[in-house]
Amino acid sequence: YSFSVEGDAIKVYVRVRPPSEGTVLTDGDQGLCLSVLSSNTIRLHSKPEPKIFTFDYVANMETTQESVFSSVAKNIVESCMNGYNGTIFAYGQTGSGKTFTMMGPSDSDNFTHSLRGVIPRSFEYLFFLIEREKEKAGSGKSFLCKCSFIEIYNEQIFDLLDSASAGLFLREHIKKGVFVDGAVEQVLSSAAEAYQVLTMGWRNRRVASTSMNRESSRSHAVFTITVESMEKNNEIVNIRSSLLNLVDLAGSERQKDTHTEGLRLKEAGNINRSLSCLGQVITALVDVGNGKQRHICYRDSKLTFLLRDSLGGNAKTCIIANVHPGSRCFGETLSTLNFAQRAKLIKNKAVVNEDTQGDVS
Amino acid sequence: AVVAGGGWAAVCEKFRTARTLSAVESRKDPETEPYRSKYSARALLQEVKQLLSAAEEGGEARLVAVRRAVLEYELGVNHTDTEELSAGEEHLQRCTQLLEPHRLSPDCVSLYIQAQNNLGILWSERDEIKTAQTYLESAEALYNQYMKEDGNPPLDPSEHFMAEEEKLTDQERSKRFEKAYTHTLYYLAQVYQHLEMIEKAAQYCHTTLKRQLEYCGYYPVEWALNAATLSQYYLSKQCFMESRHCLAAASVIFSQAGQVPSAEDNESEQDQQDLRQRKAEIARCWIKYCLNLLQSARKLLEDNIGELDPDRQLELKAQRKKEEDEKEKGRKKAVLFGTSEICDSVLAMEEKVSSVYPLDFQEAREIFLVGQNYVQEAKEFFQVDGYVTDHIEIVQDHSALFKVLAFFEEDYERRCKMHKRRIDMLEPIYADLNPQYYLLISRQLQFELADTFYEMMDLKVAIGNRLEELDSHTIKKINSLAQLAIKYYELFLDSLRNPDKVFPEELEEDVLRPAMVAKFHIARLYGKLITSDSKKQLENMQTSLEYYTFLVDYCEKYPAAVRAVETELELSKEMVGLLPTRMERLRAKLCPFI
Repeated sequence: YSFSVEGDAIKVYVRVRPPSEGTVLTDGDQGLCLSVLSSNTIRLHSKPEPKIFTFDYVANMETTQESVFSSVAKNIVESCMNGYNGTIFAYGQTGSGKTFTMMGPSDSDNFTHSLRGVIPRSFEYLFFLIEREKEKAGSGKSFLCKCSFIEIYNEQIFDLLDSASAGLFLREHIKKGVFVDGAVEQVLSSAAEAYQVLTMGWRNRRVASTSMNRESSRSHAVFTITVESMEKNNEIVNIRSSLLNLVDLAGSERQKDTHTEGLRLKEAGNINRSLSCLGQVITALVDVGNGKQRHICYRDSKLTFLLRDSLGGNAKTCIIANVHPGSRCFGETLSTLNFAQRAKLIKNKAVVNEDTQGDVS
Repeated sequence: AVVAGGGWAAVCEKFRTARTLSAVESRKDPETEPYRSKYSARALLQEVKQLLSAAEEGGEARLVAVRRAVLEYELGVNHTDTEELSAGEEHLQRCTQLLEPHRLSPDCVSLYIQAQNNLGILWSERDEIKTAQTYLESAEALYNQYMKEDGNPPLDPSEHFMAEEEKLTDQERSKRFEKAYTHTLYYLAQVYQHLEMIEKAAQYCHTTLKRQLEYCGYYPVEWALNAATLSQYYLSKQCFMESRHCLAAASVIFSQAGQVPSAEDNESEQDQQDLRQRKAEIARCWIKYCLNLLQSARKLLEDNIGELDPDRQLELKAQRKKEEDEKEKGRKKAVLFGTSEICDSVLAMEEKVSSVYPLDFQEAREIFLVGQNYVQEAKEFFQVDGYVTDHIEIVQDHSALFKVLAFFEEDYERRCKMHKRRIDMLEPIYADLNPQYYLLISRQLQFELADTFYEMMDLKVAIGNRLEELDSHTIKKINSLAQLAIKYYELFLDSLRNPDKVFPEELEEDVLRPAMVAKFHIARLYGKLITSDSKKQLENMQTSLEYYTFLVDYCEKYPAAVRAVETELELSKEMVGLLPTRMERLRAKLCPFI
């Protein structure tokens, strides 16, 4: 019997999208490469032996948007209200349903669409909780929500809320943790407003841009909401602050040739042709060292740096791995599931932050 | 000629266009048609192949075979580039078959090696690393055999489709040939890494770096970082000579980077920033070097209670005289970077710090000072405002340098002062740190501060033991150090509590040992507190007993924990047996009439 605290490890949620309309897939060789066995196991029809994967939750093709939100994000948003940091990642190859899961149908800017995704629903729920808290506490409690929306593209950081900005720097602050220096922070007063900011930024994304080289024409987008609450209790002020990061990762299939952005998705031993990657080869040698004191020169990617807290820090973190069931996607699906399996090994410890200050009059 | 004069020029033109399409144009292909240029190149290559076969009648057999092989090679690479592996393999195999009889001649050897390189890559993409290994090792052997038997700069594959007047110079031929071989070695480094032949992989990385310096253009900054990273591999193997050589070369080559004027002389702020960061990264590798060298020396010299063992010291000094020089000479040859000029600068750089184990305080101090200089250099870039994690890591290293230097210091008072320096650098950082974002580091600092106070207290007790009797000043000092140690151990233990302030029933694996050690040390510290008030003394004993008991009970409940804390557990059991009796005696003294 092992006693574990809820939210210790990274939760991994796998979602299988239905095949696109008009294609009928049958089980077996030609059509589907996987079957959902139960709400936490999935079988991949690999040769010679099928592979069984176990996750915290596996959603089959019939799963509704509402149910995805309830099982994945609801708890994280609640924790956020209680002073924890939280992060939700979406991972998977292009076409596996990442954007649909996170945002909703691509053709709708409509915040009330019945198929809206995890992000809009998180907004609604967060502001619902805030309103409820306010009602309960009367004038004793006040909230301030701010958001920023940045994109990591080609190891550079762009501000999606300020299209004029050029590459921004990531910095760390001893009290505030990691932040993007100079990123616009917009104050939010409602879910609808948050959604508006999000869609505006989304349109600024450099997805499928043709101006740069093809390999990197994919970007990670990170939408961050800071929730600050202030509670007065007879002369003592409690300030709590927490972050909610919603992350849409670049399509995983783009990571064949590059050192995986951050999450070290090192699949089997393909030889890298470019001598400029010699550093990675050497780094891997140092990595398998024996816990000796050493320094590795190659800094993590911008993404891992930004999400330091979410990956093995003090946060509640969930990864939604999206897969496409078609046989043609077998390879990508396998690597997505392998990645998700590894992610489960990352441990998280969540700590509540409470700055108790005396009378600040 | 195979094809008539004018015709041949057109064939060469087609061939050249195909290569340009493949290498240059393909980078600009649209997202939606990623292989457009590669396909066009393929069509052209097929055309050239047709023309060649048509002209084969009456051509000189060997010449035809070699030209065919060039085309097969190009087609093979083209197919693997477009993810058609089996077609690619066929072409590459045909290429090597055609060349087999001539593979050692100057017009074929380079092509043959490159075909094998590509077969190696191809098999790695099929996850057949062993097969890849055979191709690459055979390429390596062929290079060595050719260099031994012939050694003249061989033809570059592209020259078979060039007009006489376009042929390359010997210098250019040599450069391209050496580059292909460098790639062979670099691919082998990766193969060995995947096969977990780590030592061999490192050796091949080292050679690749060496060849980059000798033969092909390299970017100083990138090269320096790679060499510095490799130094860290050698550190983990305790090869200090090699590690130092890599670092010295890294520093020397890095200094070239600043001197090379960039394309547009107004380097952006970002580039400047990058350069400064890289410099600081190399400094951090040096810090680790000094730290490891000192720590390894400590391990060699310490006795079973962690103090310097003078007999061992004498023994090692005698041994060092005998063997160091001999051993180093042999290994040195294998690892030297660079041509004479670079070599001299690297050697000068190396002389600034020793690579043999320091055996006394004087020697240790010299290494410590070098490390400390690099600490300052690294901190110039990694300032606390902006680089919290990095800055703290450097400060932790600095503290570790003091800690290991203290081991070599014989005077307890001075040793204590060194530990005080650690406290002075760690405490302010800890006080400012927000554990919501830096929980792990915060715990590390709590633990280190606690341990440092604990160590200082032990030193003060040792100093006190030499006195006739304890003066009140020393007693005060001992007690306050013990209280501070307790404070930080408790802070660490509190960080393990859940949001409702409850201590976990079962400890996570990664904090199990530190938590147990903290409990054990707190128990000992309460035992060390000096008080003339017997009631207070009884209270302290009681607290001490509670902490010892925690350890014993926990290990009974979770037997898996025993392995992590064997020594501590043994002592705790002993104390749990002894303390109640002692407390009884003390109580009896307090109320003699019960």
